[in-house]
Amino acid sequence: MTDRPRAIDCAEVMERLYEYLDGELTTERSDEVKAHLQDCAPCTALSSFETTYIRFLEARTRTRNAPEELKKRILEEMLFPQDDS
Amino acid sequence: MSDHKQRSFEEEALPHLDAVYRVALRLSGNETQAEDLTQETMLKAYRAWSQYREGTNARAWLLTILRNTFINEYRRTRRMGPTVDVTEVESFTVFRDVQEVDPEGRFFDDIVDDEVLRAIDALPEEFRETLVLSDVEGLPYAEIAKITEVPVGTVKSRLFRARQALQAQLYDYAVEMGYIKKREAAE
Repeated sequence: MTDRPRAIDCAEVMERLYEYLDGELTTERSDEVKAHLQDCAPCTALSSFETTYIRFLEARTRTRNAPEELKKRILEEMLFPQDDS
Repeated sequence: MSDHKQRSFEEEALPHLDAVYRVALRLSGNETQAEDLTQETMLKAYRAWSQYREGTNARAWLLTILRNTFINEYRRTRRMGPTVDVTEVESFTVFRDVQEVDPEGRFFDDIVDDEVLRAIDALPEEFRETLVLSDVEGLPYAEIAKITEVPVGTVKSRLFRARQALQAQLYDYAVEMGYIKKREAAE
């Protein structure tokens, strides 16, 4: 028995890339992708490009919060519910 | 309402108000509706708080209420803008196009926030909601599957296509704005 991860090809890496980057793979599957990336420059380049893209999406979209006015309105309505029936 | 109920709602549910608002904004496509939708969701959740089991996943519970409220009461009034065809999407074509000139994806930095949101809004609804729950709110696939009532495999494929379609949109925009040069067709 060996602890080396099963060798997978570029197509399989591409298929699993997002799951890998999202931390959705089992340790075993994740290790297979990681091992492939260590030896494959094109897949590593793709992986870092997609990482940049996902971080960019997060950074540009997570900044908006609910307006303070809305928060206040909800709290008031919780404390003093109006009869809307 | 008992003090205990109110306190536990304030501790467990209210911290997710911003997340509810952000998802509402992307589902409805406008701020006024997003505010109404958020308010309605939070008040429905408050009234039904006794059905929530403390210490389980309040965020998923709230987002499920939000989604159902949107589908049942708001969807009909959503303005229908142009939507992107996600079925045409091929895998990793943007990277193939930019790998020689900008493999690090620096062109993304030039794209303004509003354009990112506009491009997200142009995705078909089921793809948009999957992408928003994943990339805006950072939810794991299993949680997204539960909220959107589809198998995890469907979440995976929707997310893949949504991200690729969005990336292609943003790339086209960047080319149009002159942030990056489009690669000349080979051969």
